[in-house]
Amino acid sequence: MNNDLRKKIVDMICKAGEGHIPSAFSIIDIIAFLYDKYLKFDPKKTDWEERDYFILSKGHGCAALYVVLEKHGFITQKDLNNKSKIGGILGGHPDRTKVPGAEASTGSLGHGIVTALGIALGLKIRGKKNKVIALVGDGECNEGTIWETALVASNLKLGNLCVIVDNNGSAAQVLPMEKFPKKWEAFGWEAHEIDGHNQKKIEEVFKKIKFDLCSKPKVIVANTIKGKGVSFMETHGPWHYKIPNQEELKCVYKELEE
Amino acid sequence: MKDMRQEFADTLLEVGMKDNKFIVLVGDISHFKLVQFAKACPGRYYNVGICEPTIVNMAAGLSMVGFHPVVHTIAPFIVERSYEQIKLDFCYQNVGGNIITVGSAFDYSTLGCTHHCYVDFALLKPLPNTQIVFPASPVELNVLFKQSYDNGRLNYFRVPKYSHEQVFEPDQLKVGKGIMVREGSSVTIVVTGPQLKTALRSVVELKAINIDPEIIYIHTIKPFDQKIVLESVNKTKRVLVIEEHSMYGGMGDEVMRATKGISGIKYAFISLKDDFIRDYGTYEELCDLLGFSVKGIVSKIRSELI
Repeated sequence: MNNDLRKKIVDMICKAGEGHIPSAFSIIDIIAFLYDKYLKFDPKKTDWEERDYFILSKGHGCAALYVVLEKHGFITQKDLNNKSKIGGILGGHPDRTKVPGAEASTGSLGHGIVTALGIALGLKIRGKKNKVIALVGDGECNEGTIWETALVASNLKLGNLCVIVDNNGSAAQVLPMEKFPKKWEAFGWEAHEIDGHNQKKIEEVFKKIKFDLCSKPKVIVANTIKGKGVSFMETHGPWHYKIPNQEELKCVYKELEE
Repeated sequence: MKDMRQEFADTLLEVGMKDNKFIVLVGDISHFKLVQFAKACPGRYYNVGICEPTIVNMAAGLSMVGFHPVVHTIAPFIVERSYEQIKLDFCYQNVGGNIITVGSAFDYSTLGCTHHCYVDFALLKPLPNTQIVFPASPVELNVLFKQSYDNGRLNYFRVPKYSHEQVFEPDQLKVGKGIMVREGSSVTIVVTGPQLKTALRSVVELKAINIDPEIIYIHTIKPFDQKIVLESVNKTKRVLVIEEHSMYGGMGDEVMRATKGISGIKYAFISLKDDFIRDYGTYEELCDLLGFSVKGIVSKIRSELI
């Protein structure tokens, strides 16, 4: 559990007066792992050609990305403090023209994954071995472009592309989509399913998958809990875009310190 | 004169042979025309499938890793269906690329509204970082494309089926610069696209009624050449705009913006009314019906400008 990062997320969002806390909590363990142990990057040279690409397609979860980028030196604590303020570089959705390390400006669902598809194809044409990883939400998988991408990436044998589905169940309350892995497999992808909060399982799955330039694209369906880490925020509800008041904030920090 | 679609294929081949970062994505159209490109530029031609928003968005991804992409299919499926991808994945993120369409305005005259596209200028002009070119002869397509395909903007090339049949020299052609096709004194005609042919045909009849038209041809809608229009209208004080586009948001707006400082101007417009085209027939028949004709031009000038 990355509770220090979770506290940082809450702190940043409370200062900003806006933000999606539960959506960030469901993906923070995955993003923290990727930057701590998996991706190749250089925070001082964000256009480094040999870097791996991580695209947060569900842009509203950006608070998780921001705190990880700060942890690894792409941006500063001051940037976090200025989120959603005039002159700040961090908004409620990431803007690649402003945020060092953000590979795509996302927010409208069903775009980032397709950008990743184009990047993966470009790298494949150039014979480059960089990994391309896109993280989508389960609700985002309602979008048609997700499945257009699933079809196209499979047809182009983009083995250098991996999609992580943050399966936090939020969208299933509106439009249920069962058997996620099977659906991706039906489109020709290599599918894996894990507990998206279990560090060991996250590490294992990334050890298992092999990126190359001519095999099936990979999908990891990460079963997560929206708001994971704070009991009263967990699962879908009014906390989607809510800011805790002082009393609630005390409870949040208390739970995150336990 | 060469067929526009053939020029499209030839231009792509010419650029693709020189620039190994040049890549073409199509939505299951024109693939027979592009067989030569596919052979000459292996790994840089993709008939992706019928999924236009994805094609536009993935082209942006390709651009992010150094490619100069072209997306090609029928105009409404890119401009209208994939508008958000153009806005967010190219323009908002300062990503460069190219859209080359077929099916300008009502070129697909028998196929109805689904295949028409006459609000494209209005949709694309307000998006920052766009360039809009309407090349209505083969040399224009070739020269203007080569001038700008790698300029870091989202370049939209609305390629019509029919040419205006005027032959311009390559050194006359510069993105953003209008062309003085005929000097005159009494009325300025600002025309874009294949309708230049109609405007030139109208000269004899206009002269017969003592109207000496000055004809300005515009191939670049954005950035718009305000100077050439302003200078002419300053002289004539009367202007007729002809465009195969909706009356809203097209070149007419640009002409009015260019001339806003001049008092006492009379304006007239031959464009598409606030309605869908629900008629069928040939392109020429629709032109006649919609006022894109010598008769239409003469009538418009007589009734509204003199």
